[in-house]
Amino acid sequence: MTDSIVVVRDVNVVLGGRTVLRDFGLTVARGDVVAVLGLNGVGKSTLLRCIAGLQPQTSGVVGVLDRPPSDDSGFWRDVVLVGDEPAWYPGLTVLEHLELMHAVHGSSRFEVEAALDLFDLEERRDMVPANLSTGQRQRLSLAMALLRPSRLLLLDEPERGLDSAFRTRLAAILTEYAAAGGTVVMATHDLAFARAAVARQVTLEAAA
Amino acid sequence: MNDVRVVRAFIRARGRAPVSWSDRYVSVFTLTVVALVLADPLTSALAAVTAGASQVDPSRLGAGIAVVTLGYAGFLSLARMFGPVVLPAADAAWLLLSPLPRRSVLRRTSAILLAVSLAAGAALSLALFAVLAGSAGHGTLVVVTAVVVGLSAAVGGMGAAVIAQSSPAWDSWLRGAVGCLVVAAVLAAVAGSGPGRHALAAVADAPRSLGAAVVSSSAATALVLVRQAWRALGRIRASSLLATSTRAGHIAAAAVVMDPGALTWAAEENHWRARTLRSRPWPALLSRGAPRPLRAVSAPLATAWHDWRRLVRRPRRSAALLGTAALPALAAQALGGTSPVAVAVLATGALAAAVVCTAGARRDAENPGLARLLGVNARAVLAARALLPALMSAAWLSLALVGLVVTGALTGSWWLLGPLAAPALAAGALRMARRRPIDHSLPVIDTPAGPVPTGWIVWAMTGVDLTVLGCAPLLVALMVRPPVTGALLVAQSVFGVAILAAFLLGARTGVRRG
Repeated sequence: MTDSIVVVRDVNVVLGGRTVLRDFGLTVARGDVVAVLGLNGVGKSTLLRCIAGLQPQTSGVVGVLDRPPSDDSGFWRDVVLVGDEPAWYPGLTVLEHLELMHAVHGSSRFEVEAALDLFDLEERRDMVPANLSTGQRQRLSLAMALLRPSRLLLLDEPERGLDSAFRTRLAAILTEYAAAGGTVVMATHDLAFARAAVARQVTLEAAA
Repeated sequence: MNDVRVVRAFIRARGRAPVSWSDRYVSVFTLTVVALVLADPLTSALAAVTAGASQVDPSRLGAGIAVVTLGYAGFLSLARMFGPVVLPAADAAWLLLSPLPRRSVLRRTSAILLAVSLAAGAALSLALFAVLAGSAGHGTLVVVTAVVVGLSAAVGGMGAAVIAQSSPAWDSWLRGAVGCLVVAAVLAAVAGSGPGRHALAAVADAPRSLGAAVVSSSAATALVLVRQAWRALGRIRASSLLATSTRAGHIAAAAVVMDPGALTWAAEENHWRARTLRSRPWPALLSRGAPRPLRAVSAPLATAWHDWRRLVRRPRRSAALLGTAALPALAAQALGGTSPVAVAVLATGALAAAVVCTAGARRDAENPGLARLLGVNARAVLAARALLPALMSAAWLSLALVGLVVTGALTGSWWLLGPLAAPALAAGALRMARRRPIDHSLPVIDTPAGPVPTGWIVWAMTGVDLTVLGCAPLLVALMVRPPVTGALLVAQSVFGVAILAAFLLGARTGVRRG
């Protein structure tokens, strides 16, 4: 077993006749925080989806935890993806979503009450996610993602909708996650946030 | 010309081209063709209704009144749920929040509401005529009563809904009225099946003067309500109109993409947004209490627990759902035995009881982000999610079958088939919850009855197919009505379990729509 958590080698992705990623390579080791930067449409989200196994590459190799990514429960027990659309179940409160995550995984990285406090959701504990603001919903998504045990975090623009104070706190949370042995790959437009998370910066260029 | 007309004329001048003579010709021609097409079936239906109605059977009269009353309660509920006063998105954004007189802004909407009310009133009149035809031989009076009462009830009811939109007190009254109508429907059904047959017979033999009094009082009440509604239009709060218009926008969007599922999500989110919930911990047995070897079972059950909690949080809806288990018995009474219509009502109701418990599966299918975040085996979660719809449909179907036995449409221990058909109903409901949006690229087939869009057909039949297959022994037995034997019970249990097992084993669990 190697120390590389993510290996992307010579990957090409063509979507609708347009090359989005061309001969792209990336290796991410255990404990790394990688920030993928670049203009809109250069393929940041596509790269994350390739690593998550949700977007098949046209050619090249993608490996996650020494195996090709696959959309099954074994894979998602180790890997967490926070995408662009926060998801929630109707009729459950903020606290119950965190409880659900805790119940399903049996153990969690911190207690539910601590998660409410850490992600500034204490006063919203009995609200349904539909009544939260965009930033609060994003915080709930991140809280659920970071509450459960995992080895790799894939975050697509995690700073979306967050105020600047919470971005700084999130950067610290991600740094702690990596220090505890986790690995983070995130697409972001916020250079200051990437720096605060002590992230290795990878800038994507347009493939065409 | 008032200000609103100036604004609308300005918009028209920069928008669509003015209506030409050819546009008017096409509209008139279309309406004429529709009238000609509908004339024949409507005339036949009326002839059929009047032909066999020289004598009124109290049991059929009771069931008929119950069905009409329930239909009217549904009309009022829909009017209340959708507004009823709504504006197009552009009008809501630009005209509503302007100094223009509100009643003028809402004039076009009022005209549409009146047209809708008249259409609903016509349907109500026809249904009333079908129920009352043959009463004491007062042919003309029955027609006049049915038409006036039907139209007055629909127009007056719509008026009351408009007033309710601007007045919380009226809204409470309207909600109470809907509840009373449902109770009245139940009483009419019960009366028709025995205890109140004399009272119903008296209704059928009512004197002409009573009919005239009902006609005049219903028309007067409707006029008063319409007048009050017209006054209330000027007082409706902008916030209320914006909320209903947003809802209408969801409906329009769902209609454009032709995905009826989008409508239910809009209603679901609106429901929870308006509620104050109290968080409760997950059952200990499904979370920390579960020992490690049982985690493979407890984790899917913990995921599926969401559907149970959602059901418990809507007790009135659950109670109403169980109350609708009386509908098959009503249909059987109104139509004289377990006709195909009564069997269809039974099957549809049982499937609907299962479908309302599948929100979690629907959400996972449409947005799998949370399911991936949970990281639980998808097939195991699907199996765990089958428990609640199976239980609910078993309860509903058993109650409905008991109702059919009590009213004499069936004899024997038919209720036993309820739990045995439940696995197939759960499989059908889950398949329905996980179906993809309508594929409009599928071909439209020309048939002698007209063009058939296969995309719609495939979408509509997804889920129904498994249900029909899994409930085949029960459905065939309902048509043939043999005595309930052990062989029938075994056949139904084998079909039910086999369909659910095949569905779970064959369900696709990998990458779906991204």
